[in-house]
Amino acid sequence: MLEHFQLYLKSRLQLTDEQAVEATSCLNTKTFKKGQVILSPGDLRSDNYFVNSGLLRSFTIDEKGKEHIIQFAPENWVISDRDSSIFNEPSQLFIDAIEQTEVLIVPKDFFSDIKNIVPQILELNILMLHNSIRFMQKRINMLLGATAEERYLDFIKLYPNLTLRVPQWMIASYLGVTPESLSRVRKDLAHKHFKKD
Amino acid sequence: MQANVKQVAGILNPPAPHMVGDGFRVHNFFPGGYKIKMDPFFLLDYNAKIDFSPRNTPRGVGVHPHRGFETVTIAYQGAVSHHDSAGNSGTIFPGDIQWMTAASGILHKEYHEENFTKTGGPFQMVQLWVNLPAKFKMSKPKYQTLQKDKIARYDFDDKGSYADIIAGNFKGIKGSADTFSPIEMYNLHLKNNSKIEFPLPAGYHTALLVIEGSITVNHNKKAETNQLVYFENEGELIEIEASADAVILVLSGEPINEPIAAYGPFLMNKPEEIEQAINDYNNGKFGYLEE
Repeated sequence: MLEHFQLYLKSRLQLTDEQAVEATSCLNTKTFKKGQVILSPGDLRSDNYFVNSGLLRSFTIDEKGKEHIIQFAPENWVISDRDSSIFNEPSQLFIDAIEQTEVLIVPKDFFSDIKNIVPQILELNILMLHNSIRFMQKRINMLLGATAEERYLDFIKLYPNLTLRVPQWMIASYLGVTPESLSRVRKDLAHKHFKKD
Repeated sequence: MQANVKQVAGILNPPAPHMVGDGFRVHNFFPGGYKIKMDPFFLLDYNAKIDFSPRNTPRGVGVHPHRGFETVTIAYQGAVSHHDSAGNSGTIFPGDIQWMTAASGILHKEYHEENFTKTGGPFQMVQLWVNLPAKFKMSKPKYQTLQKDKIARYDFDDKGSYADIIAGNFKGIKGSADTFSPIEMYNLHLKNNSKIEFPLPAGYHTALLVIEGSITVNHNKKAETNQLVYFENEGELIEIEASADAVILVLSGEPINEPIAAYGPFLMNKPEEIEQAINDYNNGKFGYLEE
């Protein structure tokens, strides 16, 4: 299914249908089962995954065996470990499938390979990169200085439907709070907003 | 054959099962398994009879929201406990029914009952999602527990064949549940060789789920345990003959015929109402319930 990615490109660039088809014709899709580990620390893989359907996450496991979720990737998100996909160094992260997921495999050189077909793709690549840096910058800021409630409110703006798709402990892990404190946040919000009648 | 017979449109085998939480192993007859028109019934999950091993911690489904419809849980074997954010709780045992109107929004959790968890044993349940007409989707949540011995009953004979009239009207007897649109729902308990006949309104979407035993419908359509008999809308009369002691769930309802926007646990009319439901759930407007 290349259509999702073609739509994604067309929503960001002035592209004809023919350009979109030609630009993506070399890309392949792959399906992962729920729970399948796609990337492990130490792996060398130059792929980025664009999610057509389903949900992936990247995470680390600390010395005590605790998981720390770095990113969720639902539909139309891109996920990879840049150590491996860009710098050709061993991956630091795990990536696995929370749901059965279909991805489009976008190789490292995709953007430079298609610049003859779609010259404006390089600008998009830079924009996506800046967007990714902005995302990380905000995430660092949240993790260093925001309250649990602020982190949760930011999360539901970014990923509105993930509260219905992932267990509470994963959201807590992403937010860097305990599941108990996430429960407290949700309880406080219910106190503020729940009207019995 | 009489002209006003409601003809069988198909006899459907249970689709491959999947787990809902760790407590329910369900065959989703619709909307996932078969694309059959069953409006006002939106979903039928059937936990065919299986044995659960004993353990200390209850299996089940943790806290989750619903909006825009009703969940109807019918217990045939085993027992299920329920808690919701409106403060309702209860346990249903074989023959009991829990009719929960999520309407404007509720959080609930469903678990195997404590003693059943400890003893383990056969478990068999049905869960239906019954859609609500648009004008009732945002009404106040409501909860009805129908206990087996209090459900309206019609006796076919003195040999033990009878109907539990869950909703609607069966041979002049009013069903026990209050509904928001016209719905007929019965559990038929038929002794071997007994033969019954009853009408359902033409135009209603209708199906029978064979919970136990085997039956012949309208003289020549045989259906076995765990099969769903799906009917044409036209015609009214259905005849059932049991070729073994049988339990049959009858579902029939007047179509609501309104647009549907469905996402996960929400069943609304428009996509923007789904967005609103997600937003309201995330912001605590469904209340709070401990895991």
